[in-house]
Amino acid sequence: MEALTARALSKNYRTRQGTVNALDRVDMTIGKGQLFGFLGRNGAGKTTFIKIASGLLLPTSGTIQLFGLDVLGHPREVRERIAIVPQEGKPFYHLTPREHIEEYLRVRGASAESAKSTADELLEAMGLVPYSHTPAMLLSGGLQQRTLVAMVLATGAEFLFLDEPTLGMDPFARRQVWEVVRRTVKRGSTVLLTTHYLDEAEQLTEELAVIEGGHVLYKGTAEALKSKVRREVRLHFAGGFTARELEPYGEVYPERGGLTVMTTRSRVEELTRVALERRIGVNVGPVTLEEAFLTLVGRSIEEDEPGGAWA
Amino acid sequence: MTWRTQANAVGRICWFNGILGLLRSPLVFVALFLTPLSFLFFLLVVAPRAELPYGVVGGVLFSCLFTGSGMMNDCAYLRLERQMQQVFITSPLRPISWVLGMALSELMFTIPALVLFLGVLTLVKPIGPSSFLALIGVILLTWLLASSLGFLLSTFFRTLREIWPIGMVVFTSLSVLPPVFYPLAAVPASIRWVAFLSPSTFASQLAVNAAGLATTPVPSLSVLSSAAGQLIGLVFLTLTFIAVAMWLARWREP
Repeated sequence: MEALTARALSKNYRTRQGTVNALDRVDMTIGKGQLFGFLGRNGAGKTTFIKIASGLLLPTSGTIQLFGLDVLGHPREVRERIAIVPQEGKPFYHLTPREHIEEYLRVRGASAESAKSTADELLEAMGLVPYSHTPAMLLSGGLQQRTLVAMVLATGAEFLFLDEPTLGMDPFARRQVWEVVRRTVKRGSTVLLTTHYLDEAEQLTEELAVIEGGHVLYKGTAEALKSKVRREVRLHFAGGFTARELEPYGEVYPERGGLTVMTTRSRVEELTRVALERRIGVNVGPVTLEEAFLTLVGRSIEEDEPGGAWA
Repeated sequence: MTWRTQANAVGRICWFNGILGLLRSPLVFVALFLTPLSFLFFLLVVAPRAELPYGVVGGVLFSCLFTGSGMMNDCAYLRLERQMQQVFITSPLRPISWVLGMALSELMFTIPALVLFLGVLTLVKPIGPSSFLALIGVILLTWLLASSLGFLLSTFFRTLREIWPIGMVVFTSLSVLPPVFYPLAAVPASIRWVAFLSPSTFASQLAVNAAGLATTPVPSLSVLSSAAGQLIGLVFLTLTFIAVAMWLARWREP
């Protein structure tokens, strides 16, 4: 069963410069119990999609359903089943992490006992126990973000919208959040996650979509996206090659003061041999999701025909 | 969610946003006392002693009207800066429960000032239980009116920078310009009806009436001279503001 279905969803904004298409006839389905990732550059349309899907923004045209309910026609029924971590949201400055979780659950209708036991569990899982009685205004930005995420994940809502939930968190905290998100999905929630951390998307999501300029460029698994780049191996040279020399082998881009080339398996031997002849060090590894994402979005921008090569 | 759980949610919002907010930022209610007390002090110095009770009644209403300013600031801040409104309305909580919870929490910030002014009023103009109850009724209506106006305004802001100037214009013109701190008699009889363009004049005249102070006729519009006419006017305006606030409240951005 589908948890979310969007059909020809569009959102236009009128600005002084003209009309901006934040979303342009987007079709999207997310299966029930799925952990779905939404990738895209800033302003690509990810947050607009989440705002429309959660009933916070009206679309210009198209339809969107959550668990078969029209989001526009049945906002009350939809809201009963969702929770959202907004992008760059911040907790109440005077409340502690424990109060945030307990009070939010109680506002959503939980009993005092249930709110307390869920808060205990979430504070522990998110590493917030040492700060559970500290007002948010005294917490660091990362801890405030963890508080906000804990508060929303504690609901265990049927559909969770997480808009850049790990923004500003250290790598340890991010992994704690990942664990809680995975656990929440195991318990039956469906999650739509946007992130700029490509490793996060690769680690967490079962399926993802790449959006650019309001168009969906790709929908599928991270592995399939990487294979779409048609390059399996990345070679990084600290120096000794010019970009022009490497271009015949694949996509070249500057990285860490040197050059990286993404190429096919069959060209690796040749390239490493040349590097050895020139006595140049080389790092070899598989193409990452980030590189696949950059290539996909980069091509789309270059071609100025969103979706042309990849849809 | 049932009505009972919605009511419980309203209470929870009042608790964590109002009562806990007040207990953890006591400076806020010092600030809330300061403005009406300054006006009162000014009246004590320049106005005849007989007009002091009008100033005290004005302090009561000023405090109520400024719950609207607090509502506007808090709702805009929680929507634009903290995005907490988005977190709370994408939940089983009904929009009306969020608004009511916020309005109640703003009332918590005003209660200390109201208690002070009502205490002073009983000293300068003793009133009976029925008059006291009538005054409480006027206070509640004014609170509802100011809160719905404050919420309504909060939905229009796109940045926090807009709040301060608009808030100053709206709430100063509601509480300082109309006869809230001074008697209606100070307005020339021929243009007294103009004062009733502000909803706070209905509240102030009802409060003056409830406190047993001398009322002032409105020659050109006699219906506004009676308590019944003023009450109908205040109830009508309050219900209109609530309806408009609920109708226009931007739960969904266009």
